Amino acid sequence: MAAAATTGKKVAILKAEKLEKTYRVGKVDVPALRGVSLEVEAGEFVAVMGPSGCGKSTMLHLLGGLLTPTKGRIVIDGEDLTAATDAKRTDIRRRKIGFVFQRFNLFPTLTADGNLRLAERIHGGNGSGDPERRREVLRLLRLEDKMHHKPLELSGGEQQRVALARAVITQPALVLADEPTGNLDSESSAIVLNMFQELNRRFNQTIIMITHNPEAAAACGRIIQMRDGHIVAG
Amino acid sequence: MNVFDSLVTSNIRQRPLRSAISVVGVALGVALIMIFTGLARGMSNDLQRRSSNVRGEIIFTRKGSMSLVGSATNLSTKYVERLQQIEGVEAATPVIRHIYPSGGIGVDQIEGVEWNDFSRMNGIRIINGRSPVANDEVVIDQTKAARKHPVGGTIRIFGDKLYKIVGIYAPESGARAKLTLASLQETLEAPSKCTYILIKTKPSADPVAVAKLIDQELPGNNVQFTRDVFASVESSIPSLGIFLRVLVALAAVVSALVVMLAMHTTITERTREIGILKAMGASRAYIVGEIEREAILISAMGLAVGFVLALGAGFLIHKSTGLIFEYGWMWALTAGVIGLVGGAIGAFYPAMRAANLDPVNALAYE
Repeated sequence: MAAAATTGKKVAILKAEKLEKTYRVGKVDVPALRGVSLEVEAGEFVAVMGPSGCGKSTMLHLLGGLLTPTKGRIVIDGEDLTAATDAKRTDIRRRKIGFVFQRFNLFPTLTADGNLRLAERIHGGNGSGDPERRREVLRLLRLEDKMHHKPLELSGGEQQRVALARAVITQPALVLADEPTGNLDSESSAIVLNMFQELNRRFNQTIIMITHNPEAAAACGRIIQMRDGHIVAG
Repeated sequence: MNVFDSLVTSNIRQRPLRSAISVVGVALGVALIMIFTGLARGMSNDLQRRSSNVRGEIIFTRKGSMSLVGSATNLSTKYVERLQQIEGVEAATPVIRHIYPSGGIGVDQIEGVEWNDFSRMNGIRIINGRSPVANDEVVIDQTKAARKHPVGGTIRIFGDKLYKIVGIYAPESGARAKLTLASLQETLEAPSKCTYILIKTKPSADPVAVAKLIDQELPGNNVQFTRDVFASVESSIPSLGIFLRVLVALAAVVSALVVMLAMHTTITERTREIGILKAMGASRAYIVGEIEREAILISAMGLAVGFVLALGAGFLIHKSTGLIFEYGWMWALTAGVIGLVGGAIGAFYPAMRAANLDPVNALAYE
């Protein structure tokens, strides 16, 4: 977990300044972000809402270091993502960021346990992780008896809980969730949202979640509204 | 950590057909190396073993009448008498060496000898039965006898012509079947002719000096040392070494291509998984390492199957044709290295391609 969060002092874990991203489609420049600035404090649970094509996913990919901005600066837990090389960005992502996707994106050939161990191995090298943290996360997400199942043997909600466990097992400074309840029924959505909240409360986990669902957004401490590549509220 | 719950092993198990084809591809490369080198080595060693039991030190022939795969019966047996008169010669005996299509793979050879002189000179004895006398009688060595050719049975040598097996001799020496000289002369319609005359020098004489003397006394013929004539197959066929090296290189290319194709396919299938790995912070080296580990594991399985395949094929070919296979550790090691390195090289391009995938595009891959 980020050093800033453990002190209890409210420090920005994420700072994005005047982010711009323009895609080149054929010979045409298509702006996706038009100068977005954002600050998220350690332990915040933030929802990002807005219509399709407003730049939510682009912003999430930029914040996660999967894309580089055309202009602007991103600092995560004290490390400048935009000034980093591709290898350094990968390293920052490995140490500081956990992703949760709408389509779960678990490795289908691995069990739930295998998926978690893979994350630990990538993060720490030997795959052993912190056993205490692991037990606590699994208990919180009610996954103890699901660890030897493969994704196809789990329900959508269970798969998303495994994906969530995979994202937080390595104690990232920031969890980026891209419509995590988009593929779930309302009951499973409620369970998964509840678990996001639990993780946020119990571990002071900073979470930024893209969602179209107002109920999901309501579970967050802050809601950011986006439109046409700008933040218009929050 | 459950080793079967890792990306490498689970991917191999998840796509059994692709994995099996890759394993078979590597196995074929390895088996090819082992079978061809094993055959060359086996036949070479067999030839050397048999030629080492020929005690006559010098071979006297017409020029160009003997090669590895052919021989002519064009030397007059009258030379025997003249050779015996040369100083330092203890004994001389005529031999017809006839090479013919074996009916299976390759060629076979038979010798026509004057049994008493030939066996005395070379220390060969009949261990079962008796020596050949009539034109339709043959003696064979123990290796040939072991292939269901007992004394009293018959054996087909030239087309449909049947010969009675009257004896088994030991140790093995030269051709595995021997007729009387007269019998082979009659069959080949070459009366008073032979292929070469085998010469034993006196214990006190220097074979090199005797060979020089023979060359002086009977110029225009070929005087060679037995050890040179029955050299190894490798040295008898100058291109064999090159052929074997080309074969090894081809096997390496086949292994590499099979693994490359398999890994290229699997990377395309797993584009989204590569994207997930990248999102999780896996470095290029980690992704390359995972793919290389999978390729090396497939290659290792290919090696094991290839060795078993080579042993099985060698056994079956030996049983059906009599060809001898001798597998050497060095070639096995070479085949192993070729299989593993070929697999690793083959996987490198797909691995680099995977490592360089754009994570956002990879995650969006359907």
